[in-house]
Amino acid sequence: MITHKQRLAARQTRRGLRTAIAIVLLALMLFPLYWMLNISLQASGGTLPSTFLPWHPSLAGYTTAIQDQGQNLVTSLLIAIGTVVLTLLIATPCAYALAQFRFRWISWALLAILISQMIPGIVIANALYTLYENIGLLNSIPGLIIANAANAVPFGILIMRSFMLAVPTSIVEAARVDGAGLVRAFLSIVVPISRNSLITVGLFAFLFAWSDFIFALTLTTKGNIVPVTLGIYTYLGAHISNWSAVMATAMLASIPAIILLVIAQKYIAAGATGGAVK
Amino acid sequence: MSNAETLTTATEPAAPSSEPAPARRGGRRGEEIAKILFVVPAALTIIALFGYPVVKNLVMSFQNYTLRTFINGKAPWVGLQNYVAVVTDDLFTKALTNTALFTIGSIAGQFVIGMLLALFFHKNFPLNGVLRALFLLPWLIPLIVGSAAWRAILEQDSGILNVTLENLGIIDAPIPWLTSPNVALIAIILVNIWLGIPFNVTLLYSGLQDIPDELYEAGALDGATGWKAFWNITLPNLRAVVSVVLMLGVIYTLKVIDIILGLTQGGPANATQTIAVMSYQRSFVEFKFGQGAALSNILILIALVFAIVYLRATRRRVDE
Amino acid sequence: MIKKRVLAAAAMASLVPLTLAACGGGGSNAGGSASSSSEAVDSLTVLDYYTDEPGKSNIDAQLQKCGTTIGVAKVDHQSVPGPTLIQKVLQQASSKTLPDVLMLDNPDIQQIAEAGALMPLGDFGINADGYAPGPVSAATYDGQLYGLQPGANTLAIFYNKDVLAKAGVQPPKTWAELKATAKKLTSGKQYGFAFNATADYEGAWQFLPPMWTNGGDETDLKSPQVAGALQLWKDLVDDGSVSKSAVNWKQSDVNDQFIAGKAAMMLNGPWQIPALTKAKMNFGVVPFPVNTPDQKSVAPLGGEAWTVPETGNDAKKAKAAELVKCMNTDENQMLRAKQGGLVPTKLALAAEFKKEVPSMAGFTDAVASARARTGKLGAKWPDTAKVIYTGMQLVLTGQAPPADAMAKAGAS
Repeated sequence: MITHKQRLAARQTRRGLRTAIAIVLLALMLFPLYWMLNISLQASGGTLPSTFLPWHPSLAGYTTAIQDQGQNLVTSLLIAIGTVVLTLLIATPCAYALAQFRFRWISWALLAILISQMIPGIVIANALYTLYENIGLLNSIPGLIIANAANAVPFGILIMRSFMLAVPTSIVEAARVDGAGLVRAFLSIVVPISRNSLITVGLFAFLFAWSDFIFALTLTTKGNIVPVTLGIYTYLGAHISNWSAVMATAMLASIPAIILLVIAQKYIAAGATGGAVK
Repeated sequence: MSNAETLTTATEPAAPSSEPAPARRGGRRGEEIAKILFVVPAALTIIALFGYPVVKNLVMSFQNYTLRTFINGKAPWVGLQNYVAVVTDDLFTKALTNTALFTIGSIAGQFVIGMLLALFFHKNFPLNGVLRALFLLPWLIPLIVGSAAWRAILEQDSGILNVTLENLGIIDAPIPWLTSPNVALIAIILVNIWLGIPFNVTLLYSGLQDIPDELYEAGALDGATGWKAFWNITLPNLRAVVSVVLMLGVIYTLKVIDIILGLTQGGPANATQTIAVMSYQRSFVEFKFGQGAALSNILILIALVFAIVYLRATRRRVDE
Repeated sequence: MIKKRVLAAAAMASLVPLTLAACGGGGSNAGGSASSSSEAVDSLTVLDYYTDEPGKSNIDAQLQKCGTTIGVAKVDHQSVPGPTLIQKVLQQASSKTLPDVLMLDNPDIQQIAEAGALMPLGDFGINADGYAPGPVSAATYDGQLYGLQPGANTLAIFYNKDVLAKAGVQPPKTWAELKATAKKLTSGKQYGFAFNATADYEGAWQFLPPMWTNGGDETDLKSPQVAGALQLWKDLVDDGSVSKSAVNWKQSDVNDQFIAGKAAMMLNGPWQIPALTKAKMNFGVVPFPVNTPDQKSVAPLGGEAWTVPETGNDAKKAKAAELVKCMNTDENQMLRAKQGGLVPTKLALAAEFKKEVPSMAGFTDAVASARARTGKLGAKWPDTAKVIYTGMQLVLTGQAPPADAMAKAGAS
């Protein structure tokens, strides 16, 4: 007879084993980042670390990065967070509509959205430059937020729609029977149920905006708004590159971002749709 | 007419006095407007951002668009000449083959590994959330930095990958990852798989989390566990998410240029040329924008095929 | 009914970006086209690709000082990453917001001039008398001068003095010596020689020293002289003196290899000298070797020029030309050369420069005879460059013999 204690211990061991395996998998996945760390600690500025472990670490890259890139980091964070908010505001209702409403033109709308994802980024950036130039949105953080959000909206719609397809209409109908308006039902029933997909889309909107280079380059002409992706070019000239400073910047910049992502990931909980139907 | 609408109209006479009169008058019409309004902000955003580029890209492919056009705006119409030029180019067949191999290889790798990881993380264990979030770390690094790191790792003589493989005795001679026309395509597929794993893992994990535990419990009672549970419970419920992940994966992979340009510039000897890279080079290196646009439109046609397949697969069913 | 109205609204909305984009000419410069040249100019915009420090600050200081000298209160200096400069220029050209002064890498000048985007400097009374012939031919399109280049660089062979002394060999002067020395110095992890052979303009640029020195010409790529140059590259890789990774190494990677002691000699340029000095390398420089004794070593011209785009504003264009001229004064050329690891392009400054910076003596001589890539082909150079790097890679990956490679790569 297996006692309760023994079963508990077995489960804990299994769990601990899973954690260990997860750490190993993560280590494999993040090895290139470890290599960036190694390069960032090189004194020479080249990309050729001579040893597996940095025996003679030099913090020159980091001091340079901290001195130069603080403001850029804040800029990147502002743009990324703004993008998340704007993307979710625009994409969530549309995703729900395309998932649950009975429009005759849904397939066409989806096709249009999919086509928008097939355009190369640089073609979009070029067109956006002319538009922004005319309406005066160049060199502004709101401008970059709008551009990044508009870029992420189709993706958000497609992802959230695929999650919302599974939301049972019965729940919403129940709320409507109780007298709730459409918007009310949406906000108080659908959004909480779709929490997982909202957070996931939010995560990706953040990542798209954070790692965006093409909009940052195209939509700024003065050098006063410089996200980190553009800021690293302080160390990358046409002929000479200081890779240790570049890698140090990339490493440092990812710290606040990863903290936000860790917090967000915690909210992707299981069974959000679980108890609602009952 | 959906059930929801029937219910709404049916309850109207039941509660006329509890709502202010103007909101109830023409309730169905108000509802129609409200439904449209759900979509309007997104529609405006998408049209504003993507409308002009789509049209311009299409029109440009039928024009002789050169550096001069940027100055004087003149782009003579040349009909299908650009398309003929790019399709008959020696490089086209090779680029097309490479594109197919690159896309299939990347998607297969990313999806399978992503799915396995998502299933692995589906079980609860300490540090689950933190480790999952850390998997997204590669996406926080600018691509130019990532390519530089990978070039250093894959360097034939002193790159850490070859050094490690040799030290472990797995290989005798260094593998020419980026320098042999035969191996280079495999190398960039592997790097692209690495890049795509966070995308797949995160989305599939979210999808898994949305499947109610009750289904698994009910299934377990019927004896469906392990592989059977995966096949009969997980996959059917994950179908919508899997479709969108594969669909977007294909579209995004077809567009990839940064990682290829960063690692091999399309070489060695055009071994890693894809249609997307060819399009970029035609436009922004050789300044033959009409041809570049023609190539990107060909890519869009290919992606459209997948898009239509996807739309068929996720057509909204009446009963869930 | 509602749906129709909404669709109509959406259609209207879609016209907005189209019309706005079509009205692209509404930029600020268009309104100033009627100004006379006596109108005061209080600011000029400058665009270049000097993004990295301290280069950016140095150039900025020179620009601001010149601005003050010519009576312009503000000089707005923007720097974008190197590979994105031309894209930026094109965006600005189509929205009529080109900068007042534009820096261009010398091989790009002809194409941009041909497109009609640049002003001939002769219109402002500027000429390039006394300049080395390379920069002049690079900036001359259709008989007119379009750019003025203050500093130039080129390629030469760097060698590790310690390694060569230890092996008891002299730096090579002929191709035979190059092959022999490289082979002798290849041992363990150290290759004898390193160069860049990537599938881009940088790879083509690095192939020009052997190609031109051997008498090959970009107008006739199928000639035996070009095949001979390809043969040299092939021989060096085939007998193991040069790593096969050369097809993937940028010039900065080549430099890294040299510093790390993984290459005893390398083909590179003077912009690497600060890094070499910082790494305390004991290096020497010699010109690229010749194949036969009757040949002269020829190296390609590098460096960037200042140009005046056609912005439609006469007053600003005149001031911009003055700025370009100011950036090319003797004093500014010397300063730029010393700060940027370049050689002044005015031949009269050569002697003084060699005295003040003796380590650049070899490069100073090389620049005087450096050859412009666009000298013969003009705006057609990029297409030829593509054939060159494709052919070179075909040879180095063993997919074509030197005799057929250029033809296979699409040479006409």
